[in-house]
Amino acid sequence: MKLRLCVLTITAMLCTVVQSFAHHSFAAEYDAQKVMTIKGTVTKFEWTNPHVRFYVDVKDDKGNVTNWDLELMSLNTLTRAGWDRHTLNVGDVVTVTFYMAKDGSKRGNARGNVELANGKKVFSAGDARGTGAER
Amino acid sequence: MRRRPLCAMFLAATVFACTQPLAHAQARGQTQAQPAPAPPAPRLANGHPDLSGVWMGGGGVSARNLKPGDQILLTPEAKKIMDARLSKDDPEANCLPTGVPRMNPYPWRMVQSSTDKPESHIFILFEGNIHSYRQIFMDGRPHPPDPDPTWYGHSIGRWEGSTLVVDTVGFNDKFWFDFDGHPHTTQLHTVERFTRTDLNTLSWDITITDPGSYQKPFTVQTKARLEPTWELMEYICQENNTNVPHIQGPAKVQ
Repeated sequence: MKLRLCVLTITAMLCTVVQSFAHHSFAAEYDAQKVMTIKGTVTKFEWTNPHVRFYVDVKDDKGNVTNWDLELMSLNTLTRAGWDRHTLNVGDVVTVTFYMAKDGSKRGNARGNVELANGKKVFSAGDARGTGAER
Repeated sequence: MRRRPLCAMFLAATVFACTQPLAHAQARGQTQAQPAPAPPAPRLANGHPDLSGVWMGGGGVSARNLKPGDQILLTPEAKKIMDARLSKDDPEANCLPTGVPRMNPYPWRMVQSSTDKPESHIFILFEGNIHSYRQIFMDGRPHPPDPDPTWYGHSIGRWEGSTLVVDTVGFNDKFWFDFDGHPHTTQLHTVERFTRTDLNTLSWDITITDPGSYQKPFTVQTKARLEPTWELMEYICQENNTNVPHIQGPAKVQ
């Protein structure tokens, strides 16, 4: 129970940070209470604004494949944090923790929670220097 | 029992990690403690303060930056409009301009001429959210009597000592002041006071008058911080804006 409370608290705080970087209302699109972790293969990487997006194929126990559409911060914010269009590549195996879309679509907000197969964490939100909250 | 200290440590580490960007953001928009006094604000050859540079933060309407004693009091009509607004219709989420004085998490550049002549214009170039600009006339012209309503309005500027005062009318009623959907009408009139208090800090006070939406004028007091090593980057919001069909619910912080 205590561990669960701890995780919930952390989730809520991460959500607060994430919301600051959005060009739209985070809470209107993603559910801060629904966090999911997947491991899969990157099928597409869009180095674009207003959000960088990447798509991940995940295979379940029965062999069914689901493609997740995952959102990061903007290209500009990630560039200033030191990431670039080569940070992620099609075919990379990643572990991603994200906030699920409220409308039930296979979408999520994954900012700062992407880990490559070699253990390197990329697109960390904490590195996003100089991206103040919307005023 | 073992879990508790582990959890506490994890929690403490996460609190630290999570609060860094927030603290940073707050420092940019509100108050900040300088370890040493910053150099004074520079001046142009014509003697006016030099406000040019890439700035981050400032602007926005929210309770946290209201002038002490001021209140945001909606008219009944404006409350109806605000209560009916849906998040998906926020112009910013649809890659439309934020108007005045809402800002977004991207830097902006103030552009002044640096000759010994008086400035004819001052421009504000926005990186986000739609890569647009504001044009401030500095040649002493008045507002036109019946301007077409626009997203950034008609701005005329003048110097009061070291402060640039920008008076703007002629707004359309399409942009929102924030994610909550605070509205305004075409009667909106803003008076902005920009003062570069030192090399790194631009004080930016905005007085909002709009009898169509607010029972009395109010002032927000904000600060922007110089980013001396940054350049503006391209930011085309329309390129891959897939969010709108998935945005749900009323325009309130949920």
